[in-house]
Amino acid sequence: MTKVSLELKDISKSYGALRASHKLCLSVNKGEIHALIGPNGAGKTTLIKQIYGSEQPDSGQILLNGELINNTSPSLRVRKGIGRSFQISNVLLGFTVLQNALIAELARKGKVFRFFAPAFSDPSLLSGARNILEKVGLLHQSEKLAAEISHGERRLLELALAIATNPQLLLLDEPLAGAGAEESRHITSIIENLKSQHATLLIEHDMDAVFKLADRITVLVEGKTIASGTPDEISNNSAVRNAYLGDGD
Amino acid sequence: MQALKRSLEILKSSPALFILLLGFGLFPIYTSMADLPFWNDVSMRIMLLGMAALGLNLVLGFGGMVSFGHAAFIGIGAYSVGISQFYGIDNGWLHILFALLFCAAIGLVIGFLALRTKGIYFIMITLAFAQMLYFFFVSLEVFGGDDGMGVDRASFLIIDLWDPLRLYYLIWIALFAVSLLLLLIINSHFGVILQGIKDNESRIEAMGLSALHFKITAYVASAAICGLAGALFANWQEYVSPDIMHWSRSGELMIVIVLGGLSYIAGPLIGAIVFFLLEEFLPELLYFIAPDYSENWMIIFGPMLIAVVLFTKGGLMAIFEQLHRRITQRQNTT
Repeated sequence: MTKVSLELKDISKSYGALRASHKLCLSVNKGEIHALIGPNGAGKTTLIKQIYGSEQPDSGQILLNGELINNTSPSLRVRKGIGRSFQISNVLLGFTVLQNALIAELARKGKVFRFFAPAFSDPSLLSGARNILEKVGLLHQSEKLAAEISHGERRLLELALAIATNPQLLLLDEPLAGAGAEESRHITSIIENLKSQHATLLIEHDMDAVFKLADRITVLVEGKTIASGTPDEISNNSAVRNAYLGDGD
Repeated sequence: MQALKRSLEILKSSPALFILLLGFGLFPIYTSMADLPFWNDVSMRIMLLGMAALGLNLVLGFGGMVSFGHAAFIGIGAYSVGISQFYGIDNGWLHILFALLFCAAIGLVIGFLALRTKGIYFIMITLAFAQMLYFFFVSLEVFGGDDGMGVDRASFLIIDLWDPLRLYYLIWIALFAVSLLLLLIINSHFGVILQGIKDNESRIEAMGLSALHFKITAYVASAAICGLAGALFANWQEYVSPDIMHWSRSGELMIVIVLGGLSYIAGPLIGAIVFFLLEEFLPELLYFIAPDYSENWMIIFGPMLIAVVLFTKGGLMAIFEQLHRRITQRQNTT
């Protein structure tokens, strides 16, 4: 039996008359990539926000490894094992790439309230930070400011920071957004390599990447699940073809 | 021993700070040779306001929290001395201990409430708390109310302060300690995360850290440093009144920081020096041009501050840094 890492039970959320999530049920297992697809405004990012904790569901339960986490803050959820990458790169722009990774490493180790221990010259933190960058192949840009690297490299750094805390559940919100074709292939292969270590919930508009990576796909339209299953089942599902994937081509 | 070694080593990372501290330390030798004792007084005033600005800069420059009420902590520090003496406690070390404790405690309460807000709301709430404290001391008739109260220079057990030079070096040692402490803090685990929060709070939260805890800690530390400056200020001025915590002083601290460069550890000290020299000489300069307006030196100072902010992108320290870079580049090319 595979261990369920994330389980959502009947998650509902509305903004006034707009239903962003309607009785959503979903689970993600360890070692599995579960992709969430759907047209713009389907409520994909809103769902990620509720799992991460920056938005609260109106009703329903969010369970992480069987534990109810509805009423915890985002930072506590991260400590409980959630890692998140953002749709728009959310890195420390004023710091170098290495310093970004080093601060993430520091956060993972948890020895943060030290007022005299030097941070950026600590050998063990530095080697930890280099390890993180090596995983995404960004080591050659260590000394550059995060504001100065290319957009695609910033997507890589974003991914690196999301996995730096060794999360059990990885929430990836459009990791390929804005990346070039070459970079997209690179990021896709990294996500695939990391797959066994996390339970991954992936939002992505690049269907080639989704069908290459996903073990299961859930299709959201206007806050509702219209289909859920393996990539084969989804690509043969007529409702999905009509609503989203587009018939004919 | 190792801590001392590391402290001295870290001073190398900010030559500007080291030069300034050395300069303040040697200044009385110059004034005694040139027979200008008045300038010791000016130097003490600069060191005290510089110390408070250093404290404020931990939250303003390194934490990105624009607190517009830090003069209140200078006031609490100063009144800790005055009120202690009023009740017969003459030990200066105790005064400083009280100043640190009261400022940290009140800083904790204000920080806990105010740091839940951001931007303009944070500015207004910190100003509101400072004004509350200001009028609290205005209304305390026992301690002189509006008129304030006289203060004797405290005795620090073996060292009493009858000689102004002893006060000078007490202030200097405190400034040195505060500078070193801040230099260690901003390079520490805590310090880099604080600066990370300033850069991008949501990313730090996404790393599993609660930004609020770091901000409150920095706020308390900065309040305590301003309290120390205030306690020494009372000894220097030999007088405490609510005036010391007027809101305009909070503004003065911010001007000093912005002028010097808010992302530099030495910025507030440079800013304090330049600010007080201008305060001293601009009126005299103006007197030659337009005698009637010499009191309104801020007319000249205002545009100067705007020019520094617009053109240096980082205060006077940024100019020094560029100069330094250009000189080293020239040396490298020849």
